[in-house]
Amino acid sequence: MTTVPTTAPRISLKDVALTRGTRPVLRGLSLTVNVGEIYALLGGNGAGKSTTVAALLGFLKPDAGQILVADIDPVENAERARREIAYLPENVALYDQLSAYENISYFMALSGTEPSREAMDAALDDAGLQPEARPLRIGGFSKGMRQKVAIAMAVLRDVPVLLLDEPTSGLDPRATADFNALVTRLKARGTAILMVTHDLLGAADCADRIGFLAAGQIVEEVVPSKGMDVLALHHRYGEVAAA
Amino acid sequence: MNTVRLVAENEWRLMRRSRVAQLALLILIALSVIATLTSIAHRDGNDALRARFQAQADQEFDGQPARHPHRMVHYGHFVFRPLPALAAFDPGVDGFTGSTIFLEGHRQNSANFGDVRQSSLLARFGQLTPAFVLQALAPLVLVFIGFGVVAREREGGTIRLLSAHGVTAQSLIFGKAVALGRVAALMLAPAVAALLWLTLMEGAPVVAALGLGLFYAVYLAAWVLIIVIASSLAREARTALMVLLGLWATTVILVPRIAPDVALTFAPVPTRLETDIAIQRDLRRIGDSHNPDDPHFAAFKARVLKQYGVDRVEDLPVNYRGLLAMEGETLTSRLFDDYAERQFAAERKQGAIVAAFGLVSPAIALRNFSMALSGSDLDGHRRFLKQAEAYRFDIVQRLNRLQAEAVTFGDDSNRNKDPEAGRRVRIDPKNWHDVPDFAYRGATISEKLESALTGAILLLGWLVLTGFGVRIAIRRLEAAL
Repeated sequence: MTTVPTTAPRISLKDVALTRGTRPVLRGLSLTVNVGEIYALLGGNGAGKSTTVAALLGFLKPDAGQILVADIDPVENAERARREIAYLPENVALYDQLSAYENISYFMALSGTEPSREAMDAALDDAGLQPEARPLRIGGFSKGMRQKVAIAMAVLRDVPVLLLDEPTSGLDPRATADFNALVTRLKARGTAILMVTHDLLGAADCADRIGFLAAGQIVEEVVPSKGMDVLALHHRYGEVAAA
Repeated sequence: MNTVRLVAENEWRLMRRSRVAQLALLILIALSVIATLTSIAHRDGNDALRARFQAQADQEFDGQPARHPHRMVHYGHFVFRPLPALAAFDPGVDGFTGSTIFLEGHRQNSANFGDVRQSSLLARFGQLTPAFVLQALAPLVLVFIGFGVVAREREGGTIRLLSAHGVTAQSLIFGKAVALGRVAALMLAPAVAALLWLTLMEGAPVVAALGLGLFYAVYLAAWVLIIVIASSLAREARTALMVLLGLWATTVILVPRIAPDVALTFAPVPTRLETDIAIQRDLRRIGDSHNPDDPHFAAFKARVLKQYGVDRVEDLPVNYRGLLAMEGETLTSRLFDDYAERQFAAERKQGAIVAAFGLVSPAIALRNFSMALSGSDLDGHRRFLKQAEAYRFDIVQRLNRLQAEAVTFGDDSNRNKDPEAGRRVRIDPKNWHDVPDFAYRGATISEKLESALTGAILLLGWLVLTGFGVRIAIRRLEAAL
């Protein structure tokens, strides 16, 4: 387990403190995610993972500290910061009455781009959504299929930052592996990816760094490597989550 | 394409794919088209019927044989109120007030004091007309189509995704309002077509038709904003639905039912029976022209004799009985006018109280505005009653004058004893032809606009109020994002 220095971060949180209601959630959180890097943020329930994502999107304002997303402060300019971010919530919320194409087309238009059918197909190919499902209304899609649509949007937007909130929760092992492979492909394009997850195995599979979040701050950061003792890591995660 | 337009286009697409929305809109448009067609046919049929009856009544009056003028006074005459072209859009109180009056001497048309004209009853109607469809049903359908426009985004979680894609609370709310406004415009379309038809084909005043189209649009726009506000503020779509249904039931059903009762409490109008008794009492007080000792008619007789410089009525160059009838008619008409004015004043007070309820119910504001511009409000009916009464007075006095000038006092006094005198008092029937036909003059456009002003101001007030509501909703939604 080695602490890794970061350079040219696309995501940067420095000593961020944030209170929700009367409960302090983040207490001096600091982390960075670099270009072409996957950072997995792990922690127990209530550790502050989703709060971190919400703060990066400018939905929550920190009490102290500094947040930068692609060099933009989301507190000062949430709208501009959001244009640099592709965000996948735990449950990908799309319009059930629209097809995959229509959902993508709509959200892309909101982001200021109007991709061609070919471009959408290419992105959906990347995401791994079967061609026959694409013109169908997504009301009948599984969670994994919805995520693929959302990932295709992220690919099309070609934004520097991807935020994933519990992306593999509820997915079967095959779908999880597919998803991790997809994220790895996005990483190869230079996207900085922050993945908030409970899934240690998945994180160990694709993340460049794993940060353990407890009581609103990173208590430990590890770099997964081949031959790493995942069981020991799992044990350690359990300790952190229980803390 | 800007964000508001994108949001609106997407919402419109979602509405088009919703079977509930499709069905609701289809039913409303069908109702609106049916209401428009039947209303136009009904008005045209009624108007033609009234015109035919009026012509028949005029013909029958003119066709009377030689008679004593006073017999003609009691033969009487029917007059019919022609329907304004825009009554096809909003018949207003027409079906409740009646449109036919029988005119005869010594009594004013009883419709002036009819219980049916009390505002409380008049306000409680709901015929299937274009006006009713837009006033009452369109907001309800808008509620069912639009209650979830924003709340559904919140419930489904898409609101976060929208926000992450740069959609602001303002553009979201405006976009939803534009989409729902499009639905409202579709609902309005058959009515606008009807107004266009009535203007081009039936001579309805352009300004009134434009005003109706514009302010029905204002009314529906206010509802669109109310729905979007409720949908933005509610945590769940079903909460928004319940709130909006409550608001619809209160402002469209409940308040318009309560308002006339409140008006009746604060501005009571005597019943027809009470009025009849009071009039009879006052008539007795005026005097009896047949009683030589009656102070008023004794003074009148003295005045006439002095005016003509004679000592006896038999020496007058005119028939004293005719003069007496003219004087009697003047007195009774003055009394009737007085009662009618009191009745009108009470009704106007009731109307003002009901109109004030437009502050809490845009439906009342629109109803008053709509009836005023369509020429089918109570003011229009009162105008008809006044003109009918003026016409009655004119006919009766013309006939009384004929009695005074074309019939001698001697013949008139002996007509039942002497057959020759009885023949001579029956004057030439061409005199009946000289009596002008009744010609109703409807309100001018400026009078209609004046009557509609309060409703228009209240409707604009509602629009401004909902505008403030939208600002609050935007702030609340911004905080929730």
